[in-house]
Amino acid sequence: MSQPANAVKKPISVKKTILRVLLYFVVLDVCIITLYPYFAMLCTALKNRVEIFSGDNILPVTALWSNFIDIWSRAPMAKYMLNSVLIAGGSTIIAMLCGIPAAYALARMKFKGQTAFLGFVIVSQMFAPVVLLIGIYQVMQRLGLTDNILGLIFINAAFNQAFTIWLLRGTFMGISTEMEQAATIDGCTRVQSMMKVLLPVAAPGIVTTLIFIFINAWNEYTVALCLISTDTYKPLTVGINTFNGYNMIEWQYLFAASIFAIIPVVILFMCIEKNLVSGLASGGVKG
Amino acid sequence: MKKFLATLLTLVMVLSLAACGGEKGGETTPPPADTNTETEAPPADTGSGEKTAIKVIAAEYGQNTKQWWADFVTEFNGSHDDIELTVEAVSWNDIYTVVNTRVANNDAPDILNIDVFADYVADDLLLPIQDCVSDETYAKFYDAFLEQSNIDGTIWAIPDLASARAMYYNTDILEAAGVEVPTTWDELKTACEKIKAYDSSIYPWGIDMTTDEGQAAFAYYIWNNGSDFTDASGNWTLNADANVEAIEYAIGLVKDGLTNTDPANETRYALQDLFGAGKLAMMIGPNSIPTYIADNYAKANTPEEEQISYAFAAIPTNGGNASVSAGVMDRFMVFDNEDSDEKIEAIKEFFDFFYEDSRYSDWVLMEGFLPATSAGGEIVAKADESMAPWVEIVGSCKFYPTAKAEWADVKQGVIDVEQQALLGGNVKELLDNLQATIAG
Amino acid sequence: MSTKTPAAPAEAQELAKKAPRPSGSKKLFRKVEPYIWIAPSIILMAIFIVTPIVKVFQLSMSKVTRAGLVKGYNNFENFSKVLKSPAFALVLKNTIVWTIAVVVISTVLGFMLALVLNNKFRGRKVARAIVVFPWATTLVIQASAWNFIINKDYGTLNTLLMKLGFISAPVNWTPTPGAYFAWEIACGIFVTIPFVTFCVLSGLQSIDASYYEAATVDGAGYFQKLFNITLPLVKSSLTVATVLNIIYVFNSFPIIWTMTKGDPANHTDTLVTYLYKLAFYNGKQGEASAVSVIGFLILLICASVYMIYTLRKGDDDL
Repeated sequence: MSQPANAVKKPISVKKTILRVLLYFVVLDVCIITLYPYFAMLCTALKNRVEIFSGDNILPVTALWSNFIDIWSRAPMAKYMLNSVLIAGGSTIIAMLCGIPAAYALARMKFKGQTAFLGFVIVSQMFAPVVLLIGIYQVMQRLGLTDNILGLIFINAAFNQAFTIWLLRGTFMGISTEMEQAATIDGCTRVQSMMKVLLPVAAPGIVTTLIFIFINAWNEYTVALCLISTDTYKPLTVGINTFNGYNMIEWQYLFAASIFAIIPVVILFMCIEKNLVSGLASGGVKG
Repeated sequence: MKKFLATLLTLVMVLSLAACGGEKGGETTPPPADTNTETEAPPADTGSGEKTAIKVIAAEYGQNTKQWWADFVTEFNGSHDDIELTVEAVSWNDIYTVVNTRVANNDAPDILNIDVFADYVADDLLLPIQDCVSDETYAKFYDAFLEQSNIDGTIWAIPDLASARAMYYNTDILEAAGVEVPTTWDELKTACEKIKAYDSSIYPWGIDMTTDEGQAAFAYYIWNNGSDFTDASGNWTLNADANVEAIEYAIGLVKDGLTNTDPANETRYALQDLFGAGKLAMMIGPNSIPTYIADNYAKANTPEEEQISYAFAAIPTNGGNASVSAGVMDRFMVFDNEDSDEKIEAIKEFFDFFYEDSRYSDWVLMEGFLPATSAGGEIVAKADESMAPWVEIVGSCKFYPTAKAEWADVKQGVIDVEQQALLGGNVKELLDNLQATIAG
Repeated sequence: MSTKTPAAPAEAQELAKKAPRPSGSKKLFRKVEPYIWIAPSIILMAIFIVTPIVKVFQLSMSKVTRAGLVKGYNNFENFSKVLKSPAFALVLKNTIVWTIAVVVISTVLGFMLALVLNNKFRGRKVARAIVVFPWATTLVIQASAWNFIINKDYGTLNTLLMKLGFISAPVNWTPTPGAYFAWEIACGIFVTIPFVTFCVLSGLQSIDASYYEAATVDGAGYFQKLFNITLPLVKSSLTVATVLNIIYVFNSFPIIWTMTKGDPANHTDTLVTYLYKLAFYNGKQGEASAVSVIGFLILLICASVYMIYTLRKGDDDL
């Protein structure tokens, strides 16, 4: 393992050089291993079926970029994309709308059953959606939300409440109450002081939470598989299964489509990478 | 104690909130739901007016199924002003999940196209199929096929298509290894050994014992050893000596390294891909393999000289028994949704339309299957010469005992036995246990 | 998304209207107010999580036919059937191995990776962005990719190693169920590491550099600093990350389902894949529900232990 940079400062020794080299070596290895599956996916996405099953080449003999075009005509990819954006976006909004007040109450007020509520939040996570499919379907049917994007939005929002509340509660508790008190004295209501004073300060934590929910909802698979039957309402995760059909797995299309599914999330993640750390730090995810 | 009380309190609160919240959620949510769906795409099933709505869930057989059904629906609805047909094609991976969840929630489709049916009969969910099909259409099916859906004297489902199995072999590999096409188990084993000696990178024989279709392997070997799942009067005989012998033979091939490496995880589709790539010399597969391989070559623009040459023959047998082909048949069944007479009429219309001879043979040919009606058989045999021998075969092959209520357990059970045996279990003991659980 | 935004202020306004209600019973309001704040969250979870949970409990104690019809209470028969089944012990063992292996190894590796990435070096930003990749990828895709890579006959790992000259013939990476399970665990670890890494990174970032300087002055070595300063200070971030991980990993479905479906003969099944098979392949929804109740109880016990441990310690934290 390498030294923290701030530990050794002055002596430019052999030891330090070795550590540096080691550091780069480790980082490089980690990056290669991490990227390898994506590299394999990309190469496969550019091959034809016969070449894939021959297993002779790493890189495609001739890159079949047409695979990337084919998938758009073989499945309503644009629709899937749009659905995924709607589902992930909608879930994020609902989860935040419900989660922020709850986290605020937990961080700023004292009330009976506080511990119990926190406990309930954790307990609610102990059933995976897979386990609850039958029950979920029944609820959705009663609400008329089967085969409906809105149903998925609510499910994803609900199953992300625990994380939202825990992270935001930590963030809010880490912020001093003085400013809010001052605002209250100036005649602000609780809601106003929260909206105007607390939330802006808590922005990094909120952004982290947002991204978290967005990605979880974007990647959700099992519930969508079961609830959505109309092809044009399917999110990407379920939609790309078209290429994983009865007769054959069409690896080249599956991976080409997968790459489209990964790109937006990766970009999103890269954008907030810095925020992510500080957000988690402010959330402190403090016990 | 205090914490306990607090927990209890929250729980009560949650439940009461759930009670009134449920309504609230129900009231407030639909409007956005509607705008959502309407702005996105014209919803498929708004036909709540005067029209009779029929909902169909159909298995997705391959890449062409969805489009075929979409065209079918357009055509059908275009010519039937009073019926609103919707067809949902679901992949085999998901269809059981989808159907079971729907049924459990009283949202069964009107017509279902799937392989199993006995469970639905056991729960009184189906209508006798003869009530839902016009006499004219009903007369089209092979009797032997209809018999497969007979429980206690009532026919509950009609076949939509069938497929039969045979042994495929790579002629080039067999020739190069100096092997004749095997017809008995002994010959098969010798052939495998010779192929392995000729080129150890080629798998001589393909076996699929996966959760997907492990029961097929079970059937191939026991049927061609002169045995069966049941005796003549329909009692389970899973641990018959001939069955033990058959499975031990199959497992022996794997143990001797004469097959693909991981039969418990390599599905028939994986095997087909290996076969098409010339890495597998022989396998048992359905009549659709030529279509499948040709499709692949066409898509990949494979030059002729790189394509494999292959043929098919009867599945090898043991002890002088006649070779038995395994038939697989899928079905249409009608759910009892307390339908009005108009609806039953509409369902009859649907079947008449579907089984109309030329449309039906089109359906069958679309994914390279075999027809279940005699007229369809004639048309298919005429349209595609390579299909003719198959139409012959399918009339005489054996089927799984799907009409028996225990079949679902047996199916999982024999797959489990195979996989346990692959891991070194004793076939006899395993089959004895299975027989005891199923019959006892 | 745009159709949803108008709803957002509406709900907030509703809250705003309720909050400053001026009335004589201000004291009562103070008491009720927190519950109004948590109400939306509770309603959401009650409808979409609690109701299905109640349903599962109900099913676990009922006779359910193969086609999914509920035929009344059956006196815990589902539970006894499940517990008697020889596969169950194996599945339970797998679940424990799976959860512990994935959580422990990914926590250790994630922690070490965070220490590495906390250094200042050229390309750190790029490295951090790359490390996040597996987190951002759908599990189904990730598992399909790994399954493809390790395939003996056409997998890219064999091709790669053969081209590089490390091996001369394709290696069967999954000769036994144990080996396959190990690959699944590896895949699970692979996708879990980024989460741990970033939780720890966030913890590391909030550590004041002066601690380390003081320790250096006192002549503390690297490992002394690691165990005496770093670990205690990131412990809280790690604990929560670990608890969430235990729950997520325990309930994880797509990796195993995509790679082996629990085959052969339940040797790679965990409780979740097992119950999915029971419910949707074998048509035994009652028994499947019983399995999920059992899984829930196991998790509940683990989480209670954690909660009692942390909440008691930090009661004033609330």
